[in-house]
Amino acid sequence: METLNELLGGFAAAMTWQNLIFAFIGCLLGTVIGVLPGIGPVAGVALLIPLTLNLDATGSIIMLCAIFYGTQYGGTITSVLLNTPGEAASAITTIDGYAMTKMGKAGAALTIAAVGSFVGGTIATLGLVAAAKPLGELGLLVGPPEFFALMVVGISLLVALAGKSMVKALISGALGLLISMVGIDPVAGAPRFTFGMDRLLDGVSFVAVIVGVFGLSEILSHRKDSQTPAVHAPGLRSLLPSRADMRRSTPAMARGTGIGFGLGLIPGMTGSVASLLSYGAEKKFSRHRHELGKGAVEGVAGPETANNAHANAALIPLFTLGIPASPTIAVLMGAFLQQGLTPGPTLFTEHSEIAWAIIASLFIGNLLLLLLNVPLVGLWTSILRVPPSILTALILLFMVIGAYTINFSVFDVFVMIGFGLLGLALRHLDIPLAPMVLTLVLGPLMERSLRESLEISQGDFGIFVNRPISMVLITIGVLIICSPLLKLRKPKALMEDPET
Amino acid sequence: MTTKSAIARPDGATRVVPSVLVGIGAFVAVGVYVLVSSIELGLWTSLGPGPGLFPFAMGGVLVSMSIVWLFQELRRPTETPEGVDRGLVIAVVVSLAVLAAVMDLLGFQLSMFLFLMYHLKLRGGRTWSSSLIIALAGSVGAFYAFNYGLNVALPVSAFPPLNLIGL
Repeated sequence: METLNELLGGFAAAMTWQNLIFAFIGCLLGTVIGVLPGIGPVAGVALLIPLTLNLDATGSIIMLCAIFYGTQYGGTITSVLLNTPGEAASAITTIDGYAMTKMGKAGAALTIAAVGSFVGGTIATLGLVAAAKPLGELGLLVGPPEFFALMVVGISLLVALAGKSMVKALISGALGLLISMVGIDPVAGAPRFTFGMDRLLDGVSFVAVIVGVFGLSEILSHRKDSQTPAVHAPGLRSLLPSRADMRRSTPAMARGTGIGFGLGLIPGMTGSVASLLSYGAEKKFSRHRHELGKGAVEGVAGPETANNAHANAALIPLFTLGIPASPTIAVLMGAFLQQGLTPGPTLFTEHSEIAWAIIASLFIGNLLLLLLNVPLVGLWTSILRVPPSILTALILLFMVIGAYTINFSVFDVFVMIGFGLLGLALRHLDIPLAPMVLTLVLGPLMERSLRESLEISQGDFGIFVNRPISMVLITIGVLIICSPLLKLRKPKALMEDPET
Repeated sequence: MTTKSAIARPDGATRVVPSVLVGIGAFVAVGVYVLVSSIELGLWTSLGPGPGLFPFAMGGVLVSMSIVWLFQELRRPTETPEGVDRGLVIAVVVSLAVLAAVMDLLGFQLSMFLFLMYHLKLRGGRTWSSSLIIALAGSVGAFYAFNYGLNVALPVSAFPPLNLIGL
């Protein structure tokens, strides 16, 4: 009952006209980012953080969350119409989505994808409402050693699941932690790795690093032969799916919701894994499995529901434990921290009103996206007709504004350029970027909890194994890192997931 | 060479790609620098862990993982990574660096206008009219939208004559 009252309070705050506008703008921008093949959700969210710097904390996070799950909707449009996923989680939708387009059923595919996304996103948000209190209360029992151990598990999972090589993932993770250590040491107050530059005393700007590593390096790694594909938006009349389509989609959506929700709770499992496993489940359980790959509606409904259920469920570890489950959530966590909000159990005790307003806005945002996506599909596809040279110039413009406005200094633009080149080098060397962004956000928190733990124990590292919760978590983390030695195999799709 | 070893190490696949070697070398160098700097920062103090403890551990991870990677490469070299479009990289990086260098002097509007014109007209081969319209919207339009719409101040020119005409 208390939870319901708090949720209703959250709705009251989220439904002020200012916050509705922020949610609406976030949904619009997120859809555009999802549609654009040149920029992923991680860079997209980071790029737009500066737009929200002058907003109040609630409005800012509402907008950024809307951008985040809006990208999941937008990515579907190009998958269905162009056979080109706007972002990784929609890649599997190309198979049946594009086949449906060739059969003249593009409108139905897009509508079913939007409905599935709405269903998956809404049910996962209900899960967040149910889990928020109990997990938050459990989280309050967590001291510095348990917090450190929890982050070890989160990082180990992402490192273990990222890319083809764990060695490269560990290099990426170590780089992120080292970058996060630039600036004043959080405990002793000593400057570290500042090279005598006063500008680095506050550390390297998180947004400039992320925009450089993910956004600029993406532009720098473009091939010469990339061309704008021809695209035709389906007419409004063709948007309504048939009754048979809806009937066939319902079980696929149910399975997709379960898979997406479950995987969203596990750090390191990205939306692409959720959509891929959902497609696998359809191949195994669907009555029409023999039609998959030839334009079966289940091949669109399942994965699209799963990736949105995953996106919203991935907010549960962030809100309740302060652990980002994916790179995009890590960027979102960076935005929380910039607004003076620390995600985790204390979020519900210290900023309860803001936390519930954000959760309520997730319901509103999902509904807005459903209303925006289906009728405006023609508008979204027209974005794809913009020539790449114009698109690149405009993205660079936003990158410069984004980097500059963090501290109103061109220094951060140079930081962005430097990290753009680093990102290009990492891509060239096939080093995954995801562990780096996660450790970049978690680095200061992780170091603080490690040092606090050791101060409590007067330097005895045994504190991590003497306490039952931290011992179990550390053991899990070590087992995950050692999993290649145990020859545990990871899903093949993870190896090709750009988000990891 | 036995038949077995010939299969395991086909011609052309036995050499480590130079850019991978450079990358490994760079990571080792960074790691060693961090290890040395961490010791100078102090690994342990009378109060407990020092500011250098955590970076020391990370420097150690970086160096050790880079060495493991080197051994992996020597055993089984990766295929040559895809090359980058050097012309694009140089054009984007140099134009961004020039833009950042002159933005405080010329102001956002003029420097961004020139930057966009370069990318639209010279590199993108757009028509004069479309280049001008987009460059004006992206520079002057963005300046006013951010300054007055979002209350985010973008730089104005440090030169009085340019400043006086609103640039």
